[in-house]
Amino acid sequence: MTTYVIRRIATGVLILFLLSILVFLLFNALPADPAALTCGKSCTPAIIEANRIRLGLDLPLWQQYWEFLKGIFVGRTYGYGQAAFTCPAPSLGYSFRRGECVTELLLSRLPVSIYLSLGAFIIWIVSGVFFGVYSALRRGRWQERVTTGVALIGYSFPTFFIGLLALYFVVIKWQWLPYPDYISPFEDPVQFLQTMILPWLTLAVVYAAFYIRLTRNQMIETLGEDYIRTARAKGLPERTVIRKHALRAGLTPIVTAAGLDLAILLGGAIVTESVFTLPGIGRLAIDSVLEADLPVITATVLVAGAFIVIANVVVDLLYAVIDPRVRLV
Amino acid sequence: MQTVKRNGLRLAAVMGAGVMLLAACGGSSSSSESSAGGSAAASGSTGDGSAPTKGGTINVLTLSEQFNHLDPQRNYTGVDLAFASAYLNRTLTQYQLAPGADGVTLVPDMATDTGTSNADATSWSFTLRDGVSFQDGSPIGCADIKYGVSRTFATDIITDGPTYAITYLDIPQNDDGTSTYKGPFVEDAAGQANFDKAVTCSDDNKTITFNLNQPVGDFNYAVTLSAFSPVPKASDTGEKYDDAVVSSGPYQITEYTKGQKLVLDRNPNWDEASDPIRKAWPDKVVVSFAIDASAIDQRLIADSGEDQTAVPIAGMQPENLATVFASDDPRFADRSVDAADPYARYMVINTQKVPNLKQREAIAVAVNRAEILQIRGGDFAGTLADGVISPTLGAAYQPSDMWTSAFGQPIPDTGDPEYAKQLITESGEPMPKLIFQFPNNPVDEKIAVSTQASLAKAGIEVELAPLEPGEYYSIVMDPTKAEGLIRSGWAADWPNASTVIPPLFGQNESFNLGFAGDQSYWDSISTAKANTDATAQAAQWADLNKQAMSQAWVVPQVFGKTQYIWGSKVGGSFMWDAYGAIPYANLWVKQ
Repeated sequence: MTTYVIRRIATGVLILFLLSILVFLLFNALPADPAALTCGKSCTPAIIEANRIRLGLDLPLWQQYWEFLKGIFVGRTYGYGQAAFTCPAPSLGYSFRRGECVTELLLSRLPVSIYLSLGAFIIWIVSGVFFGVYSALRRGRWQERVTTGVALIGYSFPTFFIGLLALYFVVIKWQWLPYPDYISPFEDPVQFLQTMILPWLTLAVVYAAFYIRLTRNQMIETLGEDYIRTARAKGLPERTVIRKHALRAGLTPIVTAAGLDLAILLGGAIVTESVFTLPGIGRLAIDSVLEADLPVITATVLVAGAFIVIANVVVDLLYAVIDPRVRLV
Repeated sequence: MQTVKRNGLRLAAVMGAGVMLLAACGGSSSSSESSAGGSAAASGSTGDGSAPTKGGTINVLTLSEQFNHLDPQRNYTGVDLAFASAYLNRTLTQYQLAPGADGVTLVPDMATDTGTSNADATSWSFTLRDGVSFQDGSPIGCADIKYGVSRTFATDIITDGPTYAITYLDIPQNDDGTSTYKGPFVEDAAGQANFDKAVTCSDDNKTITFNLNQPVGDFNYAVTLSAFSPVPKASDTGEKYDDAVVSSGPYQITEYTKGQKLVLDRNPNWDEASDPIRKAWPDKVVVSFAIDASAIDQRLIADSGEDQTAVPIAGMQPENLATVFASDDPRFADRSVDAADPYARYMVINTQKVPNLKQREAIAVAVNRAEILQIRGGDFAGTLADGVISPTLGAAYQPSDMWTSAFGQPIPDTGDPEYAKQLITESGEPMPKLIFQFPNNPVDEKIAVSTQASLAKAGIEVELAPLEPGEYYSIVMDPTKAEGLIRSGWAADWPNASTVIPPLFGQNESFNLGFAGDQSYWDSISTAKANTDATAQAAQWADLNKQAMSQAWVVPQVFGKTQYIWGSKVGGSFMWDAYGAIPYANLWVKQ
């Protein structure tokens, strides 16, 4: 088990390293000239060249990457003289568009994405699994049709549509909640909840719909297995049959999907964060793309990749917990 | 973006897509088409009939994640200038806080008057008032302003800002055209000595003198830009100064979390007696960043809770305009404005790609300008343009006759493809295939398609070349990448066409995207710039604008308009022509 975990972590680090090279090369292959992009209106060839040096773009590509990599371990100093400043390790670079060290920028945005993702995740996984089991147990009845119908509707609407609709009616028209204004839960938990409840529900509606259908299908399939009939024939209580035999056996694909979905959201719920003006990784990523802010784009891609890698490891570990037949070697 | 900034006095490149936006400016009487919001205001007066009072919080809502820059030497978009100059960065001169033409009247700010020049306007002096100080209470002297100006020369650190100091100050240049002075962060005694000769301080540290390399009759307008604001040398952190500006205005930064909010509280060391412009009515100013643009409109229309004391930074979105302006709803009558902004939008014809005048005329004649105006939003977007000098610039604007007689006959707003064909025939050369570069956004894409279609009717083949908005200007400003047709726009840096004609058509100007002009034209520009008679100079700019249009260096399309709405408990708001923005320094909370 320990060997497996170490091996997976090492593989994850290698993947991230390769990803960083790929992203670095991809963005440097773009036709845009970052030195001109960040030069401002009064751009002259001389200013662009000065800017190129300031951004470190005058160095060979391999050296630019080396400086980036080195910064992760020892930090990086920009500017000179009285204007010099340092982005401490682990430095993922400096955003000259935003005037911030990228690592600090990401760390300031990360909690928002974590709160958003985890809150929505709890709502959708609980409600999704619950109603999925419920509709499987009511198969063929009106309750199943209503549940799956509602799920289908929820799944059909894009996040931005549900978000904007909720924002318009709940906040602007009915004024049941104040306009989303993110604040840390440690500073003002009430305002935090008022801000997060709609984003959580918006994400949860879309994701829960998927999990209702997934859980339902898994349960129906599992409930048809011979061992379930055997369990019932042995006289086990129905609740035990459902929870310990049917649901547990059907959980594997649900855990896989949930792990990846959560990881993707942690890497940035772009639409939801944008609609509800939440300063998370997702909005940072999309803004950076729009502004061609290459250091931030690179860092957000790496963070999103890291979440995926970590989620894969965690999901694999959970397999062993859920299904005793699985052995991690 | 968007970012989009509207603006104030400055020539701005309207980069529709968002790259550099500038300030903007404004104008004069023509902007009296402002429809509401303060018909009576003067500096510190009501603007809407209510009595100004101290206290409360003004909330500012914006789509942007942060201000482009609060660092005075890097602050260059109209809204950034309007905001920061109102609250944080005082300047030597400024514009009167008033709606309409009075809003571009130059008045002293930190200086005791609007400056004095020598006979040929190559030397300008400003004397500081008593009582001006930084937020730590230390008095502001000439040396602080001189140091602030010196930062502009550190072009590798102090980026994005205006470079008028580099252009105008009498400092020797290197062979490659760069200044011999590299700013205060480089140890270079010779360069520093050159700068010290160009900017001098009196013995009492109260009077600053700028020695220029050319006559600049309106240099006292240039110093309204915060590039000429003071910076305390000991607090200068270069690039990072943007986050921790030492205020010389009535407020100071107490919190700046990019992507979330900026909080300004009163600067206890600001002396009201030293400031004839700012009244500092509210106790606090809170800027909320990263709010969806349409949501800002909806919140201000709904006018509930804290939004009653809120103002936007950008203008309204097209989809919400009808709700406010196309109805007689009294709820909006005294808290909205629909007014001309300082932008002129146009299409550049690259003279290196289309050197034949008749062919350029044919392109201009064929374009369906009426359709372009409709695509931009019709009457709310502005009016059809006939040049690059906006009517908001007052006397410098004169009809160019471009669409009435310049091309031999009147040209309808919808274009005249048949006449365009005739002009191509008269050119004696086959019309080259053209490539139209534009920022890849929905509006510009529609305009490009419309242009392509209208030129096709005249037999002109156009290939569309959409470019990512973030890199648009870096490409079209590169002479090796500029194509035949280029979408562009501009607004003046201050209310004078001296910040329009020279940058757009001057020799070796980076924003002369079409390589327009010839030696005779450039000599005329130099002559106009040296003219210290404002009225005569305005006439010269009008004439140069007319000449440019007759050469079809650009196809003018729209003189812009902007619409604002604000909360019902905000007093003193109107369209401040100086920056094409809300007059932040004039706002108060109605009790």
